[in-house]
Amino acid sequence: MSTEASIPAISFRGITKRFPGTVALQEVSFDVRPGACHALMGENGAGKSTLGKILAGIHQPDEGHFEIDGVVRRFRSPLEARRAGIGIVHQELSFCPNLSVAENICLSHLPNRAGRLDWQRLHLKAQACLDEIGAECDLREELGRLSAGQTQMVQIAATLAIGARIFIMDEPTSSLSAAESQRLEILIGQLRRRGATILYVSHRMDEIFRFCDTVTVLRDSRHVATMPLAGTDESELVRMMIGRTWQKLYPEHVERAPGPERLRVEELSSPGKFRQVSFSLCSGEVLGFAGLVGSGRSEIAMGIFGLDSGLTGRVFVDGQSVAVRSPGEAMAQGIGFVTEDRKRQGLVLGMECGENITLASMDRLNWRGIIRGADERNAISIFWEKLQVKAASAQVPAQTLSGGNQQKLVLAKWLARQCRILILDEPTRGVDVGAKAEIHRLIDELAAAGLAILLISSELPEVLNLSTRLIVMRNGRVAGMLNRAEATQERVMQLMAGCNLTGL
Amino acid sequence: MKTDQPITLQVESGPRSRTVMASSRPRFKESGLLGVLLALGFLLTIFGGSLEERDRDTGSITTVNKFLRADNLGNLAKNTSFFAIMAVGATGVIITGGIDLSVGSIYCLAAVCGAMFLHYFGPQGPRAGASPFWVVPVAITICLGTGTFCGLLNGLGVVGLRVHPFVITLGTMAIYRGVAFVMTKAQSFTGFPAQFTDGLIRHPVNWHGASLYPVPLAIMAGVTVLAGWYLKHAVTGRHIFAVGGNEQASLFSGLPVNRIKLKVYAFSGFTAGVAAMIMLGYYGSASSDAGKGYELDVIAAAVVGGATLIGGRGTALGALLGALIIQMINNGIVILNVDQNYSQIIIGAVIVLAVLLDRINGTLREKRLARAAQTARETRQEIAS
Repeated sequence: MSTEASIPAISFRGITKRFPGTVALQEVSFDVRPGACHALMGENGAGKSTLGKILAGIHQPDEGHFEIDGVVRRFRSPLEARRAGIGIVHQELSFCPNLSVAENICLSHLPNRAGRLDWQRLHLKAQACLDEIGAECDLREELGRLSAGQTQMVQIAATLAIGARIFIMDEPTSSLSAAESQRLEILIGQLRRRGATILYVSHRMDEIFRFCDTVTVLRDSRHVATMPLAGTDESELVRMMIGRTWQKLYPEHVERAPGPERLRVEELSSPGKFRQVSFSLCSGEVLGFAGLVGSGRSEIAMGIFGLDSGLTGRVFVDGQSVAVRSPGEAMAQGIGFVTEDRKRQGLVLGMECGENITLASMDRLNWRGIIRGADERNAISIFWEKLQVKAASAQVPAQTLSGGNQQKLVLAKWLARQCRILILDEPTRGVDVGAKAEIHRLIDELAAAGLAILLISSELPEVLNLSTRLIVMRNGRVAGMLNRAEATQERVMQLMAGCNLTGL
Repeated sequence: MKTDQPITLQVESGPRSRTVMASSRPRFKESGLLGVLLALGFLLTIFGGSLEERDRDTGSITTVNKFLRADNLGNLAKNTSFFAIMAVGATGVIITGGIDLSVGSIYCLAAVCGAMFLHYFGPQGPRAGASPFWVVPVAITICLGTGTFCGLLNGLGVVGLRVHPFVITLGTMAIYRGVAFVMTKAQSFTGFPAQFTDGLIRHPVNWHGASLYPVPLAIMAGVTVLAGWYLKHAVTGRHIFAVGGNEQASLFSGLPVNRIKLKVYAFSGFTAGVAAMIMLGYYGSASSDAGKGYELDVIAAAVVGGATLIGGRGTALGALLGALIIQMINNGIVILNVDQNYSQIIIGAVIVLAVLLDRINGTLREKRLARAAQTARETRQEIAS
């Protein structure tokens, strides 16, 4: 409950929202002070994003209501919410990639004269919004051609264009560079001085403490606490988020002698993506790949998995030279690939969880083209339990699961395939703390069981803690190769950014 | 598989968990359609009225229900069989997220090819004396082969040229019909060997004084059951759903996406060939006008039967029931003496209505699921605390 005398800017009253197979929110009530930057925290699937989407009119609550400035509001569409001055910045809610930046910024009310688009006013207005947040991009460029970071800046500019007073920022920095993130911090300060209220959803602790003053923690779709950030610390927040005492995020490192060489690549190149990449990977090893986004890490993985037709160089599996031209051929060599984008490349979201698990191993689970039902069910239940997937049953559609559990399905798919070389591209992106620790432990277990693992991650602590060796990429080239002992955060960052790096 | 691998994750052993697999088996998906079908039949039986029928032998007059009488039902079943068979094929294509607009034209081309062959070796043809023992099987092969070949060409266009299936099949729809037109010089072909028509496809069975033709029905049932089984239990069947659900994820899981697409288009063509064969045997003639506009009826049947045009969903039995519903409405228009001119309006409205009902049904099911999940969660929490 608010202790202020003023009317809360937003107050949620017993909001409940159900989705097929899950309850996203259950009787959530709390207040947001006007002019606050209010952090919303919780594990993936705790309901943070859903709450933001309800406020923005994208979802409608099944029960309960919310008040804005003390007035009960109910938005039937995002447009109504926009008209009421609520802007949302969300990664998945992209705009029209086929329209220009300027059109996207002013999309909900394009300046016009008697129905004819007024390009001059449109560009002036869009430029003003971009200037306000200090973003630079070409107004005439198609949105689809911009980078993820730039797109996000355009989104923020668009919320300014509608004259929003309440901003919902759902993981706005997940694809922003450090510099862009700093600019966002300044921007948030500006917005607040103008009296705006911000609901800020993020996983990044440091940001929460830098940007926000109040925090609400959700757990298992319920409200846990709302309190000022000044009186708390990271470990307390984490404890509230996961509902138990803080467990180790990374498994204890055990020194293991590497097994026989599984994979070796020599002078792997692909025009415009990466050049002259050579490394080897042994059984029982976790080879980490660090580097900035766009440094060519994922592209190398794609190349090894047969998804790059312009690939040159040599690939050896178990010492034998192989030519891999398709994922099928890569899989025949025992290679598995957990892709970066699980929703687009990893899972068939409309299919049952179980069917997703066995999707890549059908060639082992059939008799003359007919699925062996008993074997399939057996395989599903083994990996379902091994990875402790949390869902009503293996027969619910994969789309009803939270991010962490979806990621477990993707991992299960490759484990069911019994691959011997596993490429993991951002295996814990958008995964909550609890599932993250589980996935880390699993990676370690798999390496101990003799798998050769290639781990690509943008999270430095992850690669540093899990890898036995580390390759740092920069601009499509190997910038350095480090042993576990040599790999420190500073050293890796220097290699990632080049020598001219000063303090980050 | 190499022998030196120490990985502990073997699939062949281990306990089978009941908690994972046993709960919430999906219900009979077509129950809604079946309900609509029964309701329609019920309404037509009640409001269709009755008819006085004179027995051919005794001359006695009996009163029979207009809808629920043997020859009406037989007719309804026969009319359904063409569309149902093709709708099963179209469903396969639609599940992968594609569309086949050329089924009507493939049907026509296959029928015309078969008809020209049968006419040539038929009683009035230039080679009248040929043995039916090879003429009939070859004619069937020609129908099915032409259909499959045309479907395969569609598939090659979709896969090889990377053009949207709507465009490819829009093109081949015109091309195949054009070929049929040129081949026949716009003539109709008749005079088939009786062993193919009355002896096989139109083989009559007497039942309650009416002549029924069970062969088209049996073929329809066979195609539906086989396709339904295949979609559910074959690896390729599973792959068809995966490709329609998420093509990129399927590719990244090593599925032969192109081969799967080729297969569904070839199968769609094959079903058009089967329907053409039945049509030839039943009506005993074919021309380049055959099957005009059938593609839309076929797609409508598939969609009413629960296939979604964005892909990933659909069943063979649903396609059959969808075709049956559409034919029953056609039949009802006749029985209820509704002005024929209104039939298109009614059918169009029913298609939209059926899809809406299906979606409402789906939403209700999702709500039930959500509530079930909540109770499960609450019990779990109670147990934990």
